[in-house]
Amino acid sequence: MDGIHDLGGRHGFGKIDVNEPEIQFHAPYEARVRSIVNTITQAPDWSIDWFRHCRELINPTDYLTRPYFDQWVQAYSAMLINSGWATVEELASGKATTAVDGLPAPMSAEKARSHVLKERCFDAPVDTQPTFSTADEVRTVTSVSNGHTRLPMYARGKSGKVIDHHGAHVFPDAMALNEKKHIHLYTVEFSLAALWPEAEKTADTVTLDLWESYLEPA
Amino acid sequence: MTEHDSDHIAHIHDDLHSHLPDEPALRAKALESLLVEKGMIDSAAVDAWVDAYSEDIGPRNGGRIVARSWTNPDFKARLLENASEAIKELELEQGHLMARENTEDTHHLIVCTLCSCYPMGLLGMAPTWYKMAAYRSRAVRDPRGVLEEFGVEVSESTRVRVWDSTAELRYLVLPQRPAGTDGWDEERLASLVTRNSMIGTHRDLSDRVASAN
Repeated sequence: MDGIHDLGGRHGFGKIDVNEPEIQFHAPYEARVRSIVNTITQAPDWSIDWFRHCRELINPTDYLTRPYFDQWVQAYSAMLINSGWATVEELASGKATTAVDGLPAPMSAEKARSHVLKERCFDAPVDTQPTFSTADEVRTVTSVSNGHTRLPMYARGKSGKVIDHHGAHVFPDAMALNEKKHIHLYTVEFSLAALWPEAEKTADTVTLDLWESYLEPA
Repeated sequence: MTEHDSDHIAHIHDDLHSHLPDEPALRAKALESLLVEKGMIDSAAVDAWVDAYSEDIGPRNGGRIVARSWTNPDFKARLLENASEAIKELELEQGHLMARENTEDTHHLIVCTLCSCYPMGLLGMAPTWYKMAAYRSRAVRDPRGVLEEFGVEVSESTRVRVWDSTAELRYLVLPQRPAGTDGWDEERLASLVTRNSMIGTHRDLSDRVASAN
């Protein structure tokens, strides 16, 4: 989807706060929210991709102006309401008036501690052979899902070169719809000049990690 | 059952916009209270993660990797080949990790234009600027301008390579070892490595050597 979250290359967002204090969290609630999300009982049809999509769909004004971890609260709130696990009134008050039946016991502190700093993997073996090889010239497609996708607007319909293949990874466009499939994933490098009209001839590049369905032979 | 419908979620966001308290901390508190009442979280488990964030998670983990790569060429080779496997030697984990080595000829810069993907297990929470529009919009279009804003000078002859984290691969920049650090042990070297140098918004660590002496 061509949403507000798809920011690569847009103009007018001003200066970067390069003097931001180098601390993990800027308010206590941020650490709580980050930790809640690590331990919350997840619905079986939720995924990281569905969460990302629910954040992308935040009202554009809120997306650009509300604090980052506040947006996590809002994305999870939307997921809870959408799945029938909470109401907007409950989320506003913090008081439960409805129950969710059949939930397992929530994650214990002991289990939470055992999850700290454990790697998560998103690849899996597949029967299909990769279509592309390193050094192949490819072109990205112009048409993508109206829902979640990881092919940004700035990199659609552009020519680049495959520089790496990573096996098959969970395909986010489908996973956000609760369809799990693994598709070959490549790293594709684009010259800055191939992406931007004003870029002068330069050796500088931008690389993206792109699924095979985003790519065509050049 | 979840209805995976974008329009429905957008409508819910409009409702939330009108009904939730304005103050972020109050929204978070209401969410936590509600989830406890519904039996969807255990506050002790949330506390365990909060403690972990203050004690175990942060850029010093990345700094240990960089320092090891400076002192042990075999480790660096393994790191560049398969970083997720190599960092297990340091009892660290990060799935699908890709190490990118800065050299005289190349400078690497990491961004996530679509959200906020970041090697959290090694660098801790991403800085707020990394997650905000100014950095995300410009890093892929005017990387040298962004670097200049961070006070980083990259010569014309040095190639800038920007890595937009569009999948679950996580990128870690290995900054160059500064001069004047011969014979330093790994721990001392690790103390030189800044968070920004592992994102690519800091290049020359020699300014850290004087203050570490």
